[in-house]
This record gives sequence, structure tokens and C-alpha cells, in this order.
Amino acid sequence: MSHQLLTISGLSAGTEDKPILHGIDLTIGAGETHVLMGPNGAGKSTLGHVIMGDPAYHVTDGTIALAGEDITDKGPDKRSLAGIFLSYQAPVEVPGVPLYSFLRTICQMRPELKTTARTFRRRVGEIAERLDIDQGFLTRELNVGFSGGERKKIEMLQLLLLRPRLAILDETDSGLDVDALSVVSRGIETYRAECDGALLMITHNTRILERLTVDRTHVMVHGRMVADGPAELIDDIDAHGFSHFEDALAQKAEAQQ
Amino acid sequence: MSDATETPRKRAQVDDINRSLYDFRMSEEGYERYEDGLSTDIVRAISERKDEPRWMLELRLEALAAYEEMAMPANWGPSIEMLDLDHISTYVSPQTKQANSWDDVPDDIKRTFERLGIPEAERESLAGVGAQYDSEIVYHNMRKEVADQGVIYTTIEDALHDPELEPIVHEYFGTLIGLRDHKFAALHYAVWSGGSFVYVPEGVTLPYPLQSYFRLNAQGAGQFEHTLIIVEPHADLHFIEGCSAPKYYEANLHAGAVELFVKDHAKLRYSTIENWSKNMFNLNTKRSTVGADATMEWVSGSFGSHVSYLYPATLLQGARSSCEFTGITFAGATQDLDTGCKVVLNGPDTTASVDTKSISKDGGVNTFRSSIVVGRRADRARASVSCASLMLDDISRSDTIPAMDVRNGSASVGHEATIGRISDDTILYLMSRGCSEGEARTMVVNGFADPVSKELPMEYAIEMNNLIKLEMEGAIG
Amino acid sequence: MMAQTISADQADTTILAHVNVPPAQTWNYLRINDLSLEVPTPYFAGDVHARLPRLFERVECGIGADAVTWMCRAAGDARYVEVRADDERAEPLYVDVDASSAEVRDTGVLVRAGARATIVTCAHGGGGDTSASLLRVIAERDARVTIVEIVACEGTQQHLDAVGISAAEGARVEMRQYALGGSKVALGLCCDLAGASSRLELDARYLVGGTDVLDVNHVVRQRGRATRADIVTTGILADAARKTMRETIDLVHGAKHAEGSEIETVLVTGDDVVNKTLPVILCDEEDVAGSHGASIGAISPEQLAFLGARGLDESAAERLFARALFDDAAIHAPVDEARAAVLARAATVLGADVARDVGEVLGFDQRGA
Repeated sequence: MSHQLLTISGLSAGTEDKPILHGIDLTIGAGETHVLMGPNGAGKSTLGHVIMGDPAYHVTDGTIALAGEDITDKGPDKRSLAGIFLSYQAPVEVPGVPLYSFLRTICQMRPELKTTARTFRRRVGEIAERLDIDQGFLTRELNVGFSGGERKKIEMLQLLLLRPRLAILDETDSGLDVDALSVVSRGIETYRAECDGALLMITHNTRILERLTVDRTHVMVHGRMVADGPAELIDDIDAHGFSHFEDALAQKAEAQQ
Repeated sequence: MSDATETPRKRAQVDDINRSLYDFRMSEEGYERYEDGLSTDIVRAISERKDEPRWMLELRLEALAAYEEMAMPANWGPSIEMLDLDHISTYVSPQTKQANSWDDVPDDIKRTFERLGIPEAERESLAGVGAQYDSEIVYHNMRKEVADQGVIYTTIEDALHDPELEPIVHEYFGTLIGLRDHKFAALHYAVWSGGSFVYVPEGVTLPYPLQSYFRLNAQGAGQFEHTLIIVEPHADLHFIEGCSAPKYYEANLHAGAVELFVKDHAKLRYSTIENWSKNMFNLNTKRSTVGADATMEWVSGSFGSHVSYLYPATLLQGARSSCEFTGITFAGATQDLDTGCKVVLNGPDTTASVDTKSISKDGGVNTFRSSIVVGRRADRARASVSCASLMLDDISRSDTIPAMDVRNGSASVGHEATIGRISDDTILYLMSRGCSEGEARTMVVNGFADPVSKELPMEYAIEMNNLIKLEMEGAIG
Repeated sequence: MMAQTISADQADTTILAHVNVPPAQTWNYLRINDLSLEVPTPYFAGDVHARLPRLFERVECGIGADAVTWMCRAAGDARYVEVRADDERAEPLYVDVDASSAEVRDTGVLVRAGARATIVTCAHGGGGDTSASLLRVIAERDARVTIVEIVACEGTQQHLDAVGISAAEGARVEMRQYALGGSKVALGLCCDLAGASSRLELDARYLVGGTDVLDVNHVVRQRGRATRADIVTTGILADAARKTMRETIDLVHGAKHAEGSEIETVLVTGDDVVNKTLPVILCDEEDVAGSHGASIGAISPEQLAFLGARGLDESAAERLFARALFDDAAIHAPVDEARAAVLARAATVLGADVARDVGEVLGFDQRGA
């Protein structure tokens, strides 16, 4: 299994005062598409943030490896440069920083993307056009006063610009209107088609998955991985929800007592 | 007390009748009262009467010289032009010996404090009580078990006559607030009288608060008490001061000084409910120095006085020391209250949190003034200031003047201020649930003041809510 | 006007003792109540003819009367522009201040009812002792005025920049203020929202490094009913920079339904910075809303985590903020000369490579800036 892109083993993590994740195992191969599902509060977003190295969470046990290299103790910036991308559910406002300055800076940090200003402008222009992003946005301050849909589009713009090896999309579909949703779907398809990167979709809504070829589905409940299976598992969840996973976990806990 | 229970007939009377709780006054007949104004003779006379050590007389005389030489504060906040120091008597004594038993207090003074609820509070929830009437402390008592732990709660005058305590007073007195800090500090040191000396030994935690109550009964007089509190390492004290005075037409002056020494790992909470009458110039100076890992908490409710300059200052000298300031100021008709606080963060990892509220009504003027200074060595210091002002009508005024001076790159300072009125929607909502407009407004104002009242011991919180109700009733009718 | 001969005993320099005095002051020992500047004595004394219509004398400028008088005298001449009623002036009105030759400019702009105008002032260069710009704007009823004020001086330059605005009913002022350089820079701004429903939007940005001093006084008088003022200030303090920022929102009696807000965010990257802030709200009216927020220190943990997830560690994030300030100034400088001044200053602060990149990414190379 040395060709695995992401290998998580026995990962437990949480905030300073509260454990959230318990003994998570997860592997994602290069170029694969995985879906992580589960009810609200299951810890899905936390897992995404822990993979990214968000300092708000502390790993108490287990390891995270990217392409065989242990990154458990690495900062988020190092992980980002190594090819992990996390799209935020609620992208942070950064007043004072025009989008252009931000995009240029994060591209120039990466040797593989470093390019002339002219090429950079052309690439940004192309991607923006594909995502129906008005060029005027590029001179506005990052996420400041942007609507939810606009923020998500800007996240997609960064995804396509950075071409990561692993993209984790955290509830990218939540709260979007039909138009924005179709733009975001287009972005995800473009990423799959052009960047050949792996994808971990975190969602509790199956609609956005309809146009994706899913390799593997994982289900999380109460901070634990409770099931994983092929794409068809999604249909099962669509039909029956998460309650039987929750019940099974409760029974297991009871049996252990 | 009987008139307080009378049914108010009209609006103007509501104010008068309820105010009578504080506004009653006692005769000064037979009291020792020094000439108005200030002279070397008066200063010497005060010192002689107190039979003070020589160093104290010298300090008084030096302060008098400083006072005469220093200018009145120019261009500062509310005007104090009306304050004619030549017509303020700096020393008025009720001609009684300090009593340690309530029964020994003269009847008129006893009635005063009983109406203010002092002995009652002592029985219920205090570790000790001091009561000052004009220039002298008339009553002092402390629970035996507290005294047995080595806690000292007495007057500075008595401490100066105790060979064990005199060196301590000498060591600390006047070191935190310099006599040249400002003109009223100089005045204070020249004529100070009364106040408290508290010493909490290392490791002692007081189960109940200590309280001092200051009552200025004489008209056209000044009260200049000095409070000196030393909380030794790992000790813990809650000290409460209450102030009130009846209403006169002549100006009264309060220029007290409070010096607080909070040693390493110690904790001091200093609570004040101030309800001076509205002819009072309250120019009080309070300062605290805080050692490593120690905590200073201020809780302050200012309702009375005609003009106030009041900005308790905290010097966070020790590493990881912290300060919390919670205050409310209510300015009504004829009041111009310039209040706030100062915090200097000098130690690394120090934290300061300031939360103030002000309410302005009937032409009252509120000024919130603060300074947060973060020194060069205060690595990772954190400070936050939050002040909210409520305007109850369009003839009042509320100004917010917070200053920040940050000299350390790793420090973080946050500040937020809001000024506004009670929204019509809120009033409408409450009225749609059956409240009268008056009740609705009082309810909102009480809610606004809640963060402060919940920091106070129960009976003081009730007193504060009553004061708010009193102030609100005047406006509604 | 007769130029007078300079008397032999006339001092070479004058002290302006009370520059940038805020409407409400605080403890003197904090040294935040004013600024003292030593400036060259103007080359003539005696009566000065009013070069602008008298109307402009009543416009308060925030920097203080002494400094205004000095600027008028030192300028020697003034420029008066009137934008006719309902005229939409497409071409920005540009005031260029060549600091290297110690230029002092005195400008008055009358924007008549319903007209639109953009005014740009830009001070640039260094080595010229004291330079200054005084801009007074009267915006009549429903006028729309955009003001971009750039101070991009170099080296040991001392510079005074004052803007006074008087806004009548329905007038709307959008202003961007950039303080990008100069060893001692005083910025005074007063906007008098005299007419009902008049409005100011101010976006002020600064970057101060080395041992430079930036001293700012923003004053908004909200006199008219339902006036609005929104002030957003963002700044970076590096090295041993010294900054004083005074912001006053004055809700005058009668300004019912007025709203004023000010927010300041300061990023401190230097270890020897002196950062003073005096955010004042004066309120003499009931039915108004005033608010202020300030955050002083490092980049917020949320921002740091987000920027980290995109590959930027803290120092890269700080560099981004510094670059972004110049990007933003270049984006909003609507005339080529001002843009060039911003890029020239960027070359000094960020290095020539980054400055070139800023210009190229924003496409100014293609537009021939």
C-alpha cells in the first residue's frame, strides 16, 4: 500500500478541553474520490481540519501520513505546500488584502506554480471566467462582504489555481443557491478532470455527489468511523439516513460496558 | 422611616420621598469644626489632635506647600469652578470616641447608619465594619475569628499609635499616590483624616468582605479619608466601601485616597457603591499595585455627586498579574460624571479586562475616560476594554474617551464602544407583554446594569437596583 | 501681492505647537493630545490675501488652525476648482506634491449641487525638508465626491497633509487615505456632515516602519439628521515605528438618526513600536448610534489558521499584508502619476522585485503606467 496518498492510522484528536475524534483510520489513494458522511456533530469537519493541521485541534494519538511521509507534527502551511487543500465551510475574512495579492502570494510560494505575472494573470482570468467570477472581485478584499456563494466560488478558484494532490471539500455545497451550486459542481469536475488530484468530499447531502464517480464512502458517527463501503453506500444512506449507524454504535458501547 | 411608606401622590414627590433614605441630615450642634479654607494652622491642628508621629506632620506640611503651588486642573472634563476651596471646612469631628460596640455609638449617628442598613449588613454578611462620620471613624468592629487569623482592620490613626503597625504604615503610606500627583492629592495629604488600614497576612483568605461606610453629614465640608490596604502573598480579601451624604445647597468635597498593595499570588476585590448627594464634588484617587500571579478586581457603581473625577488605576507590575474592572455610572439631572479607569500593564503575560456601562438622563453628562498602557517588557500582555453607553433622552450627553498606548509587539489590545438608546422595538415588545412603558424602560436599564450588579454582594446589588429604580421613576411619572 | 523681503532676524523655522488636536482630550502625560512640528518659516510675513473664496476659511481641517495658516502661507498660491452643478467630471482632479522640492499645495474644490468629482492628492519623493498639502472641499447638495489621498514620501521627509470637507444635504464623500512613507507625517482630516443624510465613507491605511512617525487626527462632525460615517482603518507598524491615531465621531445635538462607526485594526510586526490610539465618541443626542472597535496586535488566530491552510506561515502572512497595502493603494490610485508614486514607494519598502510584480500582476505595465 505504499502508493497510498493519505494514510491516517488510529487518529484521536480534539480541542483543549474536549476529545472529538477517536481512533480514526482512513486511506485515500492518489486520484481517488472519497466521500465522508455522517450526521451533524459527527466530527467530519474536525477530521478535515485535523488533516489540514488546524492549530485549534490537538492530536492525542495516531498518525497522518502524506505519500508515506509522516506529517502529524507539521504546521498547516507545510501541509499546504506539500499538496493538501482544505476548502473552508466558512472562509475567513481578511480585511486589507485584495484577492489578487493573496492569490499571487500563495502561488509564488510554490516552486511548481511560480510563474511570470503575465501568465499568472492569464491563468486567474481563465479560471475566474470558468467559475463565473466577475474580474472586479480580484481587486476586492479577501472574503470581506462576500456572500456565502461568492466565498465558495473563491475557494474553488483557489483549488483550481493551486492544483493540490489532495482536496478536502468541507460542506462545500451547504447553503448555496442553484446557480452557485452548479458553479461549484463545475469546479469540482474540473479539478477531477484536469488536476488528477484525490478528493475527500465531506457532506451530509448526497445531491452534489450525483455527478461524481465515487470510489469509496465512509460514515462517521460520534467521532468514530462506523462504516465504509463502495459508492452504493450513499444510496443506502439516502434512503435510510444515519440512525441505524448511530443505533449500532450505541449497542456496541452498551455491550462493552 | 414612616414617610418612606407613604403613597406618592405626584411625580415630584416620588423623587423626594424615596431620596429621603439618603437625604436626611443630622444637626452638627456641638461638633468640632475647623475654620473653612486651608492654612498651616489648620494642618498643624489636625495633626496635633491626632497626636501623630513627626513624619506624618512633615508629610502634611509638604503636601500643603505642594497644594498651594499647584494649579487647578485646567481644561479637564467637567468644570469645578463652583468648588470654592476657601469655603470648605477640611475637618469636622462629631466629638465622640471611636466605638467598638454599636451600643456605644451616639444616638443620632447610630440612627443615621441604621437607616442606611449598616449594622444589619454587618450581622448578616460582613467580616468587619468601619463607619466614618464626617472626618472621623465612629465605629469599628471585626469578627473575632478574623482577628485571630492576624487580620488587622483599623483606622490609620490607631495604627500610627501602635508600635507594631506604625512602621508598616510609614513604609506604605503615600508611596503609591504621590502628594504631587495632582492638586487634590496634595490637598488630601495635607488634611487627610479617617479611613481604614487593612492588613491581611500571608495565606489568609477572608470568608466575608470587610466594609467601610463613609457618611458626610456636615454641610460645606470636605471628607479626606485615606484607605491603605496591604494583602500579603497568597491572601484574599474583598473590601467594600459605601458612601453617601444628605443634600445641601453648598458644595461638599470628597478627596479621598485609596492605596492598595496586592502582593504575589494574592487577590483583592474592591467594591464601591457611591451615592454622594448631588452637591458633592467627588475627586477621589484610587490606585493599586499588583504582584506576580496576583489579581485585582474593581467593582464600581457611581450614582451620586455633582461632579466626579474618578479613575481607579491599576499597575500590573508582576508577571501574569491580572486586573478586572467592572463599573457603572448613572448621571442624572445636574450631574457631570467623568469616570473610568487606568491600567498599566508592565509585567509579561499580564491581562486586563475593563467592562463599563454608563446611563445618562435628564441632562446628565457622562464621560468615560480610560487609558491602557502596555509597557515594553509586557510580552504577550492582553487587554480588552468594552464600554456601552445608554442615552435615555435628548438633553443628556455621553462621551467616550479611551486612550491606548501599546509599546510591545507581542501584546494584543482590543477595544469596543457603543453608544445608543433603548430601541423602540424593545419597549414595544415589553409593552405588548403587559409592562407599562416605565416598567419596560426600568427593566431594560436594569438588564443593562446587570453585569455590574451580579458582581456585587446580594444586598448591594439590591441597593443598586433600587437606586436605578429611583433614578428611573423620576423620569417617568 | 507683494513679496516681502525677509528680515535678517527672522527665524528659519517655526514651531507648530498644536497640530492634530482632537476635539476631546485626555491626560497630558499620555502625550496623545497633540503633535509639535518644526517647519520652515514661510518666505514672507504680514498679511496674506485670501486666495480661495472666503467660504473655504470656514472648513475645519483636523490638523489645526496654526498648521492651516502655515500651509496657506507656505503655499504662496492656491488652486481653486469649481465643478459645475450636475456636472460629471470624469477626469480626476490631481494635486501633485513633489516632496523633494518641499512643495506645499493649497487647493479648494467647490463641488456644486448634484455634481460628481474625483480628487487625488499624492505626495512623493524625499530629501526636501517639509512638504505639505491642504485640500478643502465643499460638497453641495447631493454632490458625490471621491477623494484619494496618498502620502508616499521617502527618507527623512517631513510632510503635512490636511483635508477638510463640508458636506451639504445628501452629499456623499468616499475617501481613501494611504500613509505609505515619510519620516514624520501628520495627517489631519475633518469632515463636517452638516446636511441631512450626508455621508462619509473613509478607508484609511498606513504602513510605518523604521523610526518613522505617523500622526493622524480624524474628526467627523455629524450635525445633520440621519448622517452616516463609516471609518475603517487598517495599518501595519514595523521596526520602531511610532504612530498616533485619533479618531473622533462627534454626534452633535440635533443629529437625530445619525450613525457613526469606526474600526481600527493594527498589525504590529516590530518589537520597538509605539502605538497610540484615541478613539473618541462624543454623543449629545439620544436617537443615534455610535460604535468603535479596535484590535491591536498580531494577525488573528482564525486568519492565521486560514492563511496557514493556504501555505503561508506567520512571516509570509505578514509580508502578504504589507504587499497587500501597496496593491490596494495601486488599485485605487486613479491617475498614473499617483500609481507610479505608490510603486516607487513599494520598491523602497518591499524591494524592487516585489514592486515590479505588483505593477505587473495588476496589469499597469500593459496600460503604460
